Amino acid sequence: MVRLPTVLGMRRKIAYPLVALGMTIGSSLAVASPALAHGYVSTPPSRQALCASGAVADCGQIQFEPQSVEAPKGRQSCDGGVSTWSVLSDESRNWPAKSVGTSVNFTWVMTARHRTADWTYYVGGTKVASISGGNAQPDAVVSHTIDLSKFPGKHTVLAVWNIGDTANAFYSCVDLNIGGGSASSSPTTAPTTSAPATTAPTAAPTTSAPGAAPTTTAPPAAAGSAWAAGVSYKTGDVVTYQGVRYQCRQSHSSINSWEPSIYTLALWLPL
Amino acid sequence: MKRRVVLSLLVPLALGACGTAATPAPTATVSANAVAEIQAGSQFNDTDVMFLQMLAYHQKQGLEMTATAASRSKNPQLKTLAEAVQATEKDELSMMQAWLTQWGKPTTADTAASLHADHGGLPATGPAEIKALKTVSAATFDTAFLNLFLAHQHNAIEMAHLETADGSNPEAKAFADRVRESRQGEVQQMLKLMNS
Repeated sequence: MVRLPTVLGMRRKIAYPLVALGMTIGSSLAVASPALAHGYVSTPPSRQALCASGAVADCGQIQFEPQSVEAPKGRQSCDGGVSTWSVLSDESRNWPAKSVGTSVNFTWVMTARHRTADWTYYVGGTKVASISGGNAQPDAVVSHTIDLSKFPGKHTVLAVWNIGDTANAFYSCVDLNIGGGSASSSPTTAPTTSAPATTAPTAAPTTSAPGAAPTTTAPPAAAGSAWAAGVSYKTGDVVTYQGVRYQCRQSHSSINSWEPSIYTLALWLPL
Repeated sequence: MKRRVVLSLLVPLALGACGTAATPAPTATVSANAVAEIQAGSQFNDTDVMFLQMLAYHQKQGLEMTATAASRSKNPQLKTLAEAVQATEKDELSMMQAWLTQWGKPTTADTAASLHADHGGLPATGPAEIKALKTVSAATFDTAFLNLFLAHQHNAIEMAHLETADGSNPEAKAFADRVRESRQGEVQQMLKLMNS
């Protein structure tokens, strides 16, 4: 508890990392740099979640920091009026609408737990619900069940996290086909007819393709082929990478930086 | 501060052999030795130290969460992801602890992250939430885990940004790049899993 501050105290130029990692005393932290912010709707998938999952391609920087749509309170746009995130307001992207019941469970993922004034939900500029945060720190994961029965059909829900101790809010737009699925509000029992998008990074987003394969199934590996990202490797599979053959020792779905190397010996051993 | 560790490369590693002990394989000893061979040299600054200390603490939490997922989830894809994260992060943790030890620094930031819980900037995942994963109902486990671990890995990416911006050690900075890339890939898989 005391060790880290002691270590850090030896240095002069410590303001930035200390603030960013929350090691300072006081609430100045709440205005940390945008790259370190702060929260978004993960389920049903918000537009930034669709960008981060690759379901909607070519979103730009938002795919790397879906939690960063921070702007002054009172905005009514998916990008919060911030030009960096304007892709989120681009209706020509054909954002896939998730089929849901009329009672919808929204889940927020918070990476910085700011004191919260409230979470407010809008449809077409109309306030649908507002849940007080009591100016307290929220948990890392916060869920709200919202009655959307007055808005059947396709709608874009604007979900806003209003911070308690700054002038800012975080914005997430969630495209829904309300009443288009089961009445369940639980994300774990989402209607099986809803498959928001394809996995191919270059594919255009599709809208509610009934019966489409789950997006999480990576293709199986071909024996001895070149290593690639996005492939489902099983223990025992053999790949070639930079002229060397490797055997998989831990099943995984491959991602960038998990290619065979001295850093990934937990996944691959040279043959 | 930096001069003191000039001889660090000659110091035998206390932690090097632990890295892959839990993942038996015919050539496990080769792996363990090789992980210990990843050296960071003797030049570093306080951001390098803080990055490794914070991430080491963070990763111990992650290992606890993924162990719970590996045993509790009924979704094969989620289990595989949890096990792969376990395997890779165990080795990363050994590597970070070895570097910190060579630098003559404590290997964790202890509970410094929780100390400032009232000030808005603590890492997303606290001990209570991690513990709650063990008792949440089976029906809601996958969703609970995925969202909590999503927040957790976003935090790792945020730590990596700090190292990239203010760190000085080339190996630590290269490690930050790998943290960013791998966690980004994991975030992608988790968002797909929870919304498929």
